[in-house]
Amino acid sequence: MKKETEHKFVKLLEEHQNIVHKICRMYTYDQNSHLDLFQEITIQLWKAYPKFRGDSKFSTWMYRVALNTAITLYRKSKRKPYTHDIDQFSFKIKAEEYDDTTEQQLKIMYAAIKELNDIDKALVFLYLEGKNYSIISETLGITEVNARVKMNRVKKKLKDILSA
Amino acid sequence: MDGLELLKKDWKNQEENLPHFEAEQLYKMLLKKSSSVVKWIFIISLIELSFGILLNVFFMDKQFWQEVDNIHLKTATIVIYIISYLITAGFVVFFYKRYRTISVADSSYLLMRNILKTRKVVKCYIIYVLVSSGITMMLFYIYSLLYTPGISENLEEINWLVIIGIGVISILLFLLFLWGVYALLYGILLKKLLRNYKELKNLDF
Repeated sequence: MKKETEHKFVKLLEEHQNIVHKICRMYTYDQNSHLDLFQEITIQLWKAYPKFRGDSKFSTWMYRVALNTAITLYRKSKRKPYTHDIDQFSFKIKAEEYDDTTEQQLKIMYAAIKELNDIDKALVFLYLEGKNYSIISETLGITEVNARVKMNRVKKKLKDILSA
Repeated sequence: MDGLELLKKDWKNQEENLPHFEAEQLYKMLLKKSSSVVKWIFIISLIELSFGILLNVFFMDKQFWQEVDNIHLKTATIVIYIISYLITAGFVVFFYKRYRTISVADSSYLLMRNILKTRKVVKCYIIYVLVSSGITMMLFYIYSLLYTPGISENLEEINWLVIIGIGVISILLFLLFLWGVYALLYGILLKKLLRNYKELKNLDF
């Protein structure tokens, strides 16, 4: 029975691991800590899995556990690089839209979101993942109105960075 | 185009060059040990909860009971010990109940609040240990003076204000030191959690 559960869990995790990797990229600055955080998130997901009732989608549940691990449980202090190390992000926008300005803007944006605080990062991450405000507010435990207010502030902050 | 909208458009493309772990590697990860804040709080709390018990056991040798008997505090000491064990047991049960409410699948705010509430139980326990040790120490200090040959005969000549003052100040300094160590330990452990908790809390008020 345990083997079966383990098998099912690993299959789901393998399928949805991109979510965890993207969170690791948001919250860590090098490959080692990426791996470290991925490892911790995996353990937390596995520990919480028996309580996963399946009444929500596995991926929705995964967003919550993974983000909670990154912003609450993960203990290692973040080591910021001296320069904006954004090489780990790739810039692939459709060829017809691609120009130097776009690439430059994307570079600045990726660097800017790396500089946000943990909570703002979580908001931006969920927003970029296409989650609606109801999911964002449920994940973070704040009201939908406050999630919107906060998101607008972050948007403004990013816009200012881009126009500076 | 809005910066964030531009990013949103590009975001999906990130997935193309993300690392990928095979099932084999994921199975291995399940066997690894967690190093989360909650696990550390649990370990440290257990050490702290046993702190009072260990302290009692360590001091309770034959000589101790002999001395207690000499200063006429044997019954009082037995009563104090029984009460303190009962209170400690109560704290352990309460701590365990609170610890069980911590769920990583809750919302971030609730998770952080539950962790902080669980820690609060241990914090109260530490305050209880420190205050009760302070009071007991004071009681022993005064009784030893009362029943020490040479002092007990000249009680009216003693400046009680000075004696009690010295006792209170030394005990307070000792307790303050222990409290400092305690605050530092949790300060380091919970720095990030507290920062993020405040950030979320400030949003709602």
